Amino acid sequence: MTTLTDIAGLIQEVIGEDWDLDEEITLETSFSDDLELESIEFVSLAEKMQATFGEEVNFVRWLSEKELDEVIDLKVGDVVEFIDSCKN
Amino acid sequence: MPHAVANGLELHHQLLGEAREGQTPCVFAHGLLIDNLSSWYFGAAPIVATTRQAICYDLRGHGLSSHTPDGHDVATGVADLLALLDSLGLERADLAGQSWGALICLRLALEHPERVRRLVLCEAPLPPSSLEEMTSVLSSDADELLKMLPDSLREAFTSGKRRALKTARRLERLLTETTLVADLKAETDLPDETLRSLQHETLLLYGDASSCRGVGDRLATLLPNSRLEVLAGGHYLAAQRAPEVGRLIQEFLDG
Repeated sequence: MTTLTDIAGLIQEVIGEDWDLDEEITLETSFSDDLELESIEFVSLAEKMQATFGEEVNFVRWLSEKELDEVIDLKVGDVVEFIDSCKN
Repeated sequence: MPHAVANGLELHHQLLGEAREGQTPCVFAHGLLIDNLSSWYFGAAPIVATTRQAICYDLRGHGLSSHTPDGHDVATGVADLLALLDSLGLERADLAGQSWGALICLRLALEHPERVRRLVLCEAPLPPSSLEEMTSVLSSDADELLKMLPDSLREAFTSGKRRALKTARRLERLLTETTLVADLKAETDLPDETLRSLQHETLLLYGDASSCRGVGDRLATLLPNSRLEVLAGGHYLAAQRAPEVGRLIQEFLDG
C-alpha cells in the first residue's frame, strides 16, 4: 500500500454514498475543485488520517500554517508529500 | 467523531493537544450558517494547541452537532456551551469566539464570570444588526449571503456540484425550517453599563474591511481590560487570517 492508496481509501470513506467521481484519485486531484470536499468532511478526513498514520503526522497543525487560499488549492499530492516527509 | 451530550443534544467537538497541568484549555466557538468548527480547527486552534489544549465544537444546527428546529439565540448558545464545559469536566476555560460564537462567549463571561479565565472576541457583531450580512440573513436570502464571502470561499461554495448543493440545502434548512431568523431578529444589544462590568482580560480581533469594524472600537472603549487588534481582512477573519489570528490568540493566552 502506498500513501496515495491509503489516502484515496480514506477520502472514499468520508464521502461515502455521495461518491460519484468517475476518475481515479491521483496526486493531482484537488480537494476543493475535483472532490468538492466540504469543510466538515475535511475534519472527518483529518480524524481518519490521525487514526491511520499516528500522532507524528500532525495534519491539522500543518494546515494551520497555510493561508485560506492555499488550503482551498490543496491537492492530494501535497498531503501525500507531507505524510511521507513525517515518516522519513 | 466525539460527541458530548449537553443541554439535551449532541455537540460534536474536537480536542487538539493534551490537557496540561496549570494551562487552562481554550474552547472555540464558530459563527452562524456557513460556518462550523473547521474554521477554528484548521486555523487558529492548532497553533494555540501547541501550548494548551484547544477544543473546537459545532454549534447546534451546524456541522455534525444535533440539528434542532430552535434555540439559535445567544442565551441558548450560552446554555449549550456551559453544558459542554460541564460534560468535559472544565470548571474554567478560556473562550474564543468568531462572530455569533463571540457573542455567546461574551455573554457566558458576563453571566458566569467564574467559568472563564480569558476571552477572545473575533468580529463580535454588537448589536447583531451591525453586521451587513444580517440583512440577507433576515430576508432569508442564501444567494445574497454567499455574495458576502471572501472570493476564495465564495468560489468554493458556488462552484456547482455536490458541495454547493449541500451548502445550499443546509442554508435553506437553517433559514426556512428553523427559528434562526426570528432568533437573530429578537437579539438585542448589550447595554454599555453591562459591558463596562466585564472584568476578564479580553482580546478583540477585527478586520479593517469588516462591516462591524466599528464594534471593535466600541468594545475597546467599554471593556475595561481589553486590547484591540485590527487585521487586514473582512468579517470572516478567523478563517481568512488564520495563522496570524492563531499567533495573536496564543500570545494573548500565554502572556
